[in-house]
Amino acid sequence: MDRIAIVNGIRTPFCKIGTALQNMTAQDLGRVVSREVIERTRLDPKDIDEVIFGNVAQPADAANVSRVIALMAGLPVTTPAFTVHRNCASGIEAVVNASIKIQVGEGKCILAGGTESMSNIPFFMQKSLQDLFTQMSRAKTSWQKLGVFAKFRPKHFSPRIGLQLGLTDPACGLNMGQTAEVLAKEFGIPREEQDHFALVSHQRAVAARETLREEIVPVSPSPAYKEFVQDDIGPRDNQTMEALAKLSPYFDRRAGTVTAGNSSQITDGAAALLVMSETRVKDLKLEPLGYVRAFAFAGVEPHRMGIGPAHAIPRALKKAGMKLSDIQAFEINEAFAVQVLACLRSLESADFAKKFGYEGYTGMIRREILNIHGGAIALGHPVGATGARLILTMLKHMKRKNLNVGLVSLCVGGGQGAAVILER
Amino acid sequence: MALIFSIHNNIGWIAFDDPDSKVNILSFEVLKRFNGILDEVATAKRLDALVLISKKKDVFIAGADIKEIENITNSDEGKEKSHLGQKIFNKLEDLDVPTIAMIDGVTLGGGCELALACRYRVATFNEKIKIGLPEVNLGILPGFGGTYRLPRLVGLKQGLKIILSGGSVSSSEAFKIGLVDRLIPQVDWEMALDKFINEIKSLRKRPASFHRKSKGIAGFLDQFWMGQQMLFGASEKAVLKSTKGFYPAPLKALHLIKENFYLRRKAGLEKEASAFGELVTTDVCKNLIKVFYLSEKFKKYLPPGCESLKPQMIRKCGVVGAGVMGGGIAQLFAYRNIDVRLKDIQPDALAKGLKSAYDVFRQASKKRKITPAEMIMKMGKITPTLDFSGFHNVDCVVEAVVEKMDVKKKVFADISAQVNPERLLCTNTSSLSVTEMAKSVKDPRRLVGFHFFNPVHRMPLIEIIQGKETSPQTLTDAFGLARSLGKTAILVKDAPGFLVNRILLAYMNEAARILELGASVEFVDRAMTDFGMPMGPFRLSDEVGLDVGLKVLHILHEGLGEHFQPASILEKTYQKGLLGKKSGKGFYLYGDSKANPVNPEIVSLRSSSEKHSISALECQERMVGLMINEAARCLEEKIVDDASVVDAGMIWGTGFPPFRGGLLRYADQWGISQVVTVLEGLAKQLNAPRFLPCEYLLTLHKEQKRFYER
Repeated sequence: MDRIAIVNGIRTPFCKIGTALQNMTAQDLGRVVSREVIERTRLDPKDIDEVIFGNVAQPADAANVSRVIALMAGLPVTTPAFTVHRNCASGIEAVVNASIKIQVGEGKCILAGGTESMSNIPFFMQKSLQDLFTQMSRAKTSWQKLGVFAKFRPKHFSPRIGLQLGLTDPACGLNMGQTAEVLAKEFGIPREEQDHFALVSHQRAVAARETLREEIVPVSPSPAYKEFVQDDIGPRDNQTMEALAKLSPYFDRRAGTVTAGNSSQITDGAAALLVMSETRVKDLKLEPLGYVRAFAFAGVEPHRMGIGPAHAIPRALKKAGMKLSDIQAFEINEAFAVQVLACLRSLESADFAKKFGYEGYTGMIRREILNIHGGAIALGHPVGATGARLILTMLKHMKRKNLNVGLVSLCVGGGQGAAVILER
Repeated sequence: MALIFSIHNNIGWIAFDDPDSKVNILSFEVLKRFNGILDEVATAKRLDALVLISKKKDVFIAGADIKEIENITNSDEGKEKSHLGQKIFNKLEDLDVPTIAMIDGVTLGGGCELALACRYRVATFNEKIKIGLPEVNLGILPGFGGTYRLPRLVGLKQGLKIILSGGSVSSSEAFKIGLVDRLIPQVDWEMALDKFINEIKSLRKRPASFHRKSKGIAGFLDQFWMGQQMLFGASEKAVLKSTKGFYPAPLKALHLIKENFYLRRKAGLEKEASAFGELVTTDVCKNLIKVFYLSEKFKKYLPPGCESLKPQMIRKCGVVGAGVMGGGIAQLFAYRNIDVRLKDIQPDALAKGLKSAYDVFRQASKKRKITPAEMIMKMGKITPTLDFSGFHNVDCVVEAVVEKMDVKKKVFADISAQVNPERLLCTNTSSLSVTEMAKSVKDPRRLVGFHFFNPVHRMPLIEIIQGKETSPQTLTDAFGLARSLGKTAILVKDAPGFLVNRILLAYMNEAARILELGASVEFVDRAMTDFGMPMGPFRLSDEVGLDVGLKVLHILHEGLGEHFQPASILEKTYQKGLLGKKSGKGFYLYGDSKANPVNPEIVSLRSSSEKHSISALECQERMVGLMINEAARCLEEKIVDDASVVDAGMIWGTGFPPFRGGLLRYADQWGISQVVTVLEGLAKQLNAPRFLPCEYLLTLHKEQKRFYER
């Protein structure tokens, strides 16, 4: 069967919420990367059979954001598009969806990616206020209107913050940071270990700045167009253990260990990848970055969502018929340092493998081959885009270092894990 | 036969169908025939309705016959012609039979007045529909009852707006303001019209419910005497501001409506006819008609040898060199839905280019010329790049880098290496040799000069410069591109400064020499705005940037000789860094206040402190005279084909006042012998050979011909 090739990819710089990209919408960020990857690959927009973007916040002013992106990027109106949502794995979901479609013959070249503008997640009205507005619009006489008007109270006007709502699990009631604390306590992972993991992430990201430019298209943020941003904003040049130690736990103020410093950053950004059948790649005389070998998703308890990769990784390996030791490089998304560490511990544990039937597919992941350009703690985590970013970063790395096999994985809010094995 | 009358199912149909044209025109011939049909209708047995319809696609009636208007030589004749039309339209209005104008296209001028004289107007959803009274654009006013009927039908506010601006409305806007009584789909319009006729055929007059009354403040302004007076007052102010007293028609129309709005039909129309008669014989009217012809000519113009060629479709364009100009060019392409790859080697320049494109879009969105959604979509068509990625499939490349031959040649060599050699290559040079530049590209036949004027989105002109090697196909593509960008293009030979900048810089340089003599910046600027220029030479220099102007002046000096020797005050101003708006200081100061006072430093830059007094008239004579002389030289050197190209270039490239008909039309009116006398006088008096009339002028003078007779 035809293999699924990823031909090229590009991403915006990742910028912390409220910084350089804050006035650009998710669709605009998606537009930038979509158009750029097509131009840089020397394709014509009409070569694209479909557009699939992952997105979590689902902007209210751009329903089916993929379609909006496709049109803004100048793709023909006849090119269909749909949006996928698998929370933090939305970007991976887009690529997986594209792979499946191509495998069953539904298209030969699909533009897949992820986009997120966390700066633009709106505040919502209270339902009670919404009800009052509805009553108001139904009131017929001025007298009735006055009656409704008299019911307004200040409390009705306190907003519900969309970002908070999105980062809170409705099934278990915990926010993402609190689920990380669950793992910290369950595995007994000390604060220092988490902070050290975070420090390395920053150090690696800073060292990789030049390297990462290969995958970044400089963006001049609208509407100011003052300058071009070409690097991620998150990585700190002078991050230290002392500075990290000073931060107080954010999610459990008294007994917690998870801080803003050892968690991922809330960020704006987008990434796009061109997914094609191997035949199409040859027809167009292109040279792919690599191929999708296997993928897997797994469900876990919502309040332990961070453990997702420990389940998704062995499943993907099993599908690929590979051992953990076959993998030459790993990207595991750093939603929280503690959550990655918990996954590593689980994968090293024989009991864990036995309990879930993963024997032969687990083992130790060396830090030297894990997130070697830093991760979301330094670079940031624009939720819908990260999955696509991990695949892009991994493929570029594999190409540079001439590696054969790499694996990317994420934990997923709501209690899931996702993993994709890439090969060259 | 331009008019066909028929009766089906007791409905009378008058179909307008000019066999010799794509559009219907209301000539007096047609009007007379129409009059005959009306007599027939009046005597025939009672019809259910009389429908006026056009057999032309997307056109109802495009207006009166401009030739006929142009040929009116005295006011009485004008008044009489107006009366003639009014009488026929009154007859239409007074018919007992319900009359309907069935509008499915352009309905302008006389066509609109005809529709206004019908009892009902039904229009389709056709997007090509434009209904309006553009007469003031030709220096006249609606003479067939338009000034009387329109404000009564749509309210004073809307009526004044349409008549005074010479504007038009779409079918949905027309429906909104009550100019149209019903909107129907184009498909099966007969059925919808039939339904409408059934509704109204038994009514003796137009029902009051059809009349849209505005509410609130607009209603007060429309319906009460006080409000109406306020409207007249505000409109007068606006008209004076926009016409600056150069264009009498809108003001006359306003004063007319102020009177006839309160008069009965007979008296009101009498006033209209008199006003029409007065305006139609003015020079302004005649000149504006000439300018209208000029614009019609250049809408269709193709260089000889290109008539049978087809322009290449441009869907994607590479723009090399961002900054303000490149950004402006990118904006124009994106506005016309052409994808743009904007390239520069400097990220800052790229950002500046994006910013200047965005600012234009935002302004357009603010003014509601485009919707916010359109703005986002169009802005998204411009993608910046630091390398040539994305140039693999461009249809054309426009170069807009710095005005240096070696840089441009290098850039074109790079472009040539990246882009399919069959693609159209354009240089936006304002003065450098296209032929020389072409030496650096693979296929020099594909390179053409494509000179935009700043600000790109506003200036309607493009100078297309034919290099020695430029092929007819390339010229065709360039003219096609200019047209698809909505611009007027003129063909100019490859010579220093081309046409417009050459004439314009002769003028600016002369302004500087006058300054040197002791006249003030304001005085000179004022003299030229009084002449009708949209801004004075120094204000213009500040807008464009003195560095830009001076650079071209140097090229002209080098290429064309001593008469382009830059005035020393320009050099000194440049050396002081007083470049204009962009440096905050030029001939004027650009501080925080809106006043922009004259820069006091300029006076001290004069080479002598002696002061010669000079009158505004002398200023104008020197500056305009020199322009005429330079334009004649361009004709002599065959830089352009004829006088009309000069006038098109000056009107749409520099804003030379249309009411003067163009630079050389003005020279003709001034009188060639007068021009020659004045120039010779100046040459002698100032001991300045630059004023000596060129051969071309002297020949005209000798043969007693005019520019437009050659």
